[in-house]
Amino acid sequence: MAKKYLRMTLNERIQHLNLAINFTILVITGFALSYSTAFWVSPIADAPLGMTFRGFLHRLCGVATLTLGGYHLLYLAFTARGRGIAKDMIPGLKDGKDLWETLKNNLYINRPAKALKMPRFNFREKLEYLGLIWGTIVMTVTGLILWFKTEWLQFFPMWSWDVARAIHFYEAILATLTIIVWHFYAVVFNPDVYPMSWAWITGDLTEHEMEEEHGLELEKIKAKQRGELKEFPEAAAVGGGRVYAIRREKVEREEGKSPSVRRFYGIVQGFNEMIKNWKGT
Amino acid sequence: MKWRKGGSKAWSILGGVLTIFLILGWMTGVAWSDNSLCFGCHQDESLKKQDARGKTISLFVAEAGFKDSVHGKLSCSDCHTHVKDDKHAEGGQKAADKKVNCATCHEKAEKEYLQGLHSKMIMKGMERAANCYDCHGKHNILPSKNSKSMTNISNIDKTCNRCHSDAVFVKDHALGAAIPKEEFKRSVHGKTGEVTCTSCHGSHSLRSLIDPKSTIFRSNIPQTCGSCHPDITKQFTESVHGVLAARGRSDSPTCTTCHGFHGIKAKVDPDSPVNEKRIALTTCPQCHAAEQISKEYKITTTPVKSYYDSFHGLSYRGGDTYSANCASCHGVHDIRPSSDPKSMIHKDNLQKTCGTCHPGASENFAKGKMHIVASISGEDFGEKVVGWVRIVYILLIVSVIGGLTAFNFTDWLRKTIDRGRH
Repeated sequence: MAKKYLRMTLNERIQHLNLAINFTILVITGFALSYSTAFWVSPIADAPLGMTFRGFLHRLCGVATLTLGGYHLLYLAFTARGRGIAKDMIPGLKDGKDLWETLKNNLYINRPAKALKMPRFNFREKLEYLGLIWGTIVMTVTGLILWFKTEWLQFFPMWSWDVARAIHFYEAILATLTIIVWHFYAVVFNPDVYPMSWAWITGDLTEHEMEEEHGLELEKIKAKQRGELKEFPEAAAVGGGRVYAIRREKVEREEGKSPSVRRFYGIVQGFNEMIKNWKGT
Repeated sequence: MKWRKGGSKAWSILGGVLTIFLILGWMTGVAWSDNSLCFGCHQDESLKKQDARGKTISLFVAEAGFKDSVHGKLSCSDCHTHVKDDKHAEGGQKAADKKVNCATCHEKAEKEYLQGLHSKMIMKGMERAANCYDCHGKHNILPSKNSKSMTNISNIDKTCNRCHSDAVFVKDHALGAAIPKEEFKRSVHGKTGEVTCTSCHGSHSLRSLIDPKSTIFRSNIPQTCGSCHPDITKQFTESVHGVLAARGRSDSPTCTTCHGFHGIKAKVDPDSPVNEKRIALTTCPQCHAAEQISKEYKITTTPVKSYYDSFHGLSYRGGDTYSANCASCHGVHDIRPSSDPKSMIHKDNLQKTCGTCHPGASENFAKGKMHIVASISGEDFGEKVVGWVRIVYILLIVSVIGGLTAFNFTDWLRKTIDRGRH
């Protein structure tokens, strides 16, 4: 079996699944209001109190998504892996170039096609992730205005509520279509991964997939592994397995993380470490 | 005889008086109550005659039915006053006139009846228009308090429906396809058993729909309904609809426009046009989304359209009955124009109106314009802003989604072509 590379820890996969479920319910319960006479809404509309339940569920999933967003921010801020993700997610000039070259490859302007080495998060993923953040912010703000209309309308005129409602609706269309067109292409209809990229379930990518989509990251990992292999004999001579543990504690203290915060978010980190060890990578 | 032999004077006087009484009694009996002479022939069930057109008419009269009737104590000849018939003359007996005149006793009823539709139809020569006996019966008339009477409140519908639910009759008399029988039976009025045909249509003086004096003439309907629902009629006559209806505006709704006619249902009944699930779908829009009416009265169809696009309307159309419908804000029978200080949507009352569903609605809450239609050329500032937001977002959606789709298509195309080459 080909070598596998960790893409999403169990924690991240749960976050992803959580978002996927919430997003789907939000889309269904949301458009069930906008198109309340459509045929597919009839299971909701015909049920007793269907529309009331729809509204409740929509708000519930909105709160769940918002909570997940909050958790995700903490995850990014207080775990080493999270900080790594946040750093690697920052878009740069290279992403623009990657996009441009990919397009040129696709249109056979580059002949032969240029082999692109893309970082841990390629331009596709950065675009989607940033889009997701944008969408979540817009939907949260407008959604809360719509929800807490009595409070909002104490200070702001009615037309601002109407504007919020319009934005909430059109942004929902934009977000849904983006997921269908962009995300589902990348993880389902893309001929490289069809019928589906299994990373959201298994959590890892094959070496081939890494080469295709994240060549630069693969090189980095390999270089690091070569370095670790070089260091390995020294560490073994000094103290075996325990050396790693002590070193880790030391690194963390150097990074300036206070012990109390670590205790607080240690669960997350410990969880991730456990998964990593469990995967045996 | 003994008393004659005795030659007592007193006895003979007594006997004479008794004899006179007996004779008088016999005479009155024949004249007023003893109908045995008539029944001698007329209780024969097979007694028949042929009328001028050759139609066979039964001359049988059930004695028991007559005796139990309200007229049971009367003599046949009280009603059948005039006899010319040869057959009766042969027997030396008085016999019946062809026509019985009820008005001899029932003068007031006759007077009312002559003003009514049925009598007018008879005068026009209509054959099946109701005469006295069509509704009251002939020999077996019972007082209307008797539950077996044809005019008892529980039987009136059956009496009327003998003609008015007969499809052939209805068609022949051009009454439209209106067969009120089943409709009324299922209606909220029919179910009570206390309201029946005559409650609204009247009885003897029942008039045509187009007769301005009719209880069911358009502008009289609120008063007719008001005989049982006086509070509602009072509210309605002061409302914008009631005022216009009273002035004869046939476009203005009256009770029946929203509630229906014979088949009026309780508002909790899902089939009722005033059921909360239907009021904003069919009842109000039947006029307020109608082009002709909105043109005539310079009321636009915008309120209906914009309501359907609003949160209230969208949720309502999905079956949400907690969501506001037309009546939630405008009222029901007492709908008034927003310029009326008593109107629920008058600017001074809006906060309270909104507050019914949105507790804590502030003064500012009620200030905004309702029924807006997003448009960059709209009159209201909010309409313009929402219109622009829509344009910007549609452009954004088209460009972003279009771009992403195009990009992915090239990606898919290259990968598919490359795969084919390998």
